[in-house]
Amino acid sequence: MRIERAIGWACATAALLLVGCTGNGQGLDQNGQPIGSSSSGPLTADFDSIQANVFTPICSVCHAGPSAPEGLQLDAAHSYQLLVGVPSVEQPSLLRVKPGDPDDSYMVRKISGGPGISGGRMPLGEPALAQATIDAIRQWITNGAPMGASMPATHAQRGAAAFEVRLTAPEDGARVRAPLDHLIVGFTREVDFSLVNASTIVLERLGSAGELLEPFGLPLPLGYALALGDPSVVVARPLMPLGPGRYRVTVRGTGGGAVADLEAGTPGADFYFVFTVEATR
Amino acid sequence: MRSLRAAGAFALLLIFSRAAQAEPYIAVQQGLKCSQCHVNPTGGGMRNTFGDVFAQNILPWKRLDAADTWTGALASFLSVGGDLRYDASLEKVRNQPSTNDFSLEQTRLYLDANVIPNRLLFYVDEQVAPGGAINREAYALYWSAAHDWYVKAGQMYLPFGLRLQDTSAFVQEVSGINMTTPDDAVEFGYLKGPWDIQLDVSNGTAGGPTVSNGKSYSGQFTFVQAGWRAGLALNQNSSAASGRRYAYGVFAGLKTGPVAWLAEADLVDDQTQGSLSHRNAAGLLEADWLITKGNNLKLTAEQLAPDLSVTVHRNGQTRWSVVYELTPIQFVQLRLGARLLNGIPQADVQHQQLYFLELHAFF
Repeated sequence: MRIERAIGWACATAALLLVGCTGNGQGLDQNGQPIGSSSSGPLTADFDSIQANVFTPICSVCHAGPSAPEGLQLDAAHSYQLLVGVPSVEQPSLLRVKPGDPDDSYMVRKISGGPGISGGRMPLGEPALAQATIDAIRQWITNGAPMGASMPATHAQRGAAAFEVRLTAPEDGARVRAPLDHLIVGFTREVDFSLVNASTIVLERLGSAGELLEPFGLPLPLGYALALGDPSVVVARPLMPLGPGRYRVTVRGTGGGAVADLEAGTPGADFYFVFTVEATR
Repeated sequence: MRSLRAAGAFALLLIFSRAAQAEPYIAVQQGLKCSQCHVNPTGGGMRNTFGDVFAQNILPWKRLDAADTWTGALASFLSVGGDLRYDASLEKVRNQPSTNDFSLEQTRLYLDANVIPNRLLFYVDEQVAPGGAINREAYALYWSAAHDWYVKAGQMYLPFGLRLQDTSAFVQEVSGINMTTPDDAVEFGYLKGPWDIQLDVSNGTAGGPTVSNGKSYSGQFTFVQAGWRAGLALNQNSSAASGRRYAYGVFAGLKTGPVAWLAEADLVDDQTQGSLSHRNAAGLLEADWLITKGNNLKLTAEQLAPDLSVTVHRNGQTRWSVVYELTPIQFVQLRLGARLLNGIPQADVQHQQLYFLELHAFF
């Protein structure tokens, strides 16, 4: 009994010691980031400000890392490309952020407790975001959800970078479940959409040894569009369901039938990525 | 069949005869593993026959007379269960208007099809409110004849540390593995003697699209004794696109008279946010005082170090919780609580107060 009591007091003392560790905030900004390391200031309706004042200090507490809820990472390195123009996992008929349309942006519904959401209002288990914060996010979306000036290098350095493929979805080597509604090919600069067609972005089905399976090597039909609010990203929708199997996407980057930016710059080489579609369980 | 199961469970209750409920402190108070009361061997969700009988006979302050004992069984092979949490709360964030509202926090329904009794089951955990339905867990589980190992496959909560009901606890947020982030996984469990071990391989995307060939590997090792337990949890989540994330946790439970102590410390090394490694850590210490039957007082102290490149004396956050839990009758619990969050002076969102009264109904 005496030992139990002693252990109990030891645990209580440990708890009190824990409480002594509230930070004094020295050298940190209002979001807890070292001063100068982020662009935080008063919240405004631009992406950098929203990232610094909302996504990083509040959302990325949970929405970070590969196992972020619903695959949505909201740290500065990932948030824009996983939000803007990307279908929601919970409600695939809605985009997480639909540029120009905050009411039909699923993220806005989730932070507002709006209609048609799955699960709870965000931030889950925390006080709701202030209305002024929600309004700033809505205004950013109304403005077209533009990228921030201090985006990661892949975005900010577009002007200086060579015109080339910077991201794809699915990624090279990925395995995805059917149905696959769309493919995404993102470039380092705005793409000349008049050059995007069935000969410049090509989808083909592969056999187990990598051979083409379609008769006569004909590509699978795709419908093309530019991502809303981001003319450097091409969204290609298969015009027929993609069954289980391996697929290859070729982006023509050289020759007369190549994709190009608005200044006729081409990647200079073809780009490939391969992915596998698995049957729906 | 139902009566036999209930009678057997009641006989076991007479042996253990202390209160139980769906939180790890109950397991510590009882010296039991989570699988004693839950269908899911790692705890949480639907209660098994033992858990149901326990919740009706031992947990409540007073048991209302009932002609029969609820075991969840609708038919020989089919059982159901559920949890509902409805809150009245007042939230205050510094320099922001306070809010108070009634809200349905969660309604979950469970279905267990025990198609080969005690050996093979199919289990579904569906959150049906608020908002649209979300599937939390859906898996098949095969038990060995002696119930000392199992294999589980499907969507499930991954094992990592104490499976607390409060998913906003720092240790739950830092690890990112909790009851809001189930994953597609295959799990092997070993529960022989004092050992409670789980090994998992999962997609590592918590329900998001699989965008790479990277996988998540989890392991949890718990040594359970009547008066104490200690465990180690590990998780490595790889993603070809964004790097790796490592999570390490140690946790323990201890019973000192009417008080059950829980402790957990987690460290996360996140290499997915650019070239730099981001490390953070969280700790929790909780005391649950079983004042009398049906009355529990929970005190929790938590510490968060959101960025270990900065000393905790500069950026640390603390969270205190006091929650009184009254279970007046079977299947009904009232929780009255306060949570105080404190952080750096210049961050308003790190200064919050939450006061709540929660109705927790379950079956």
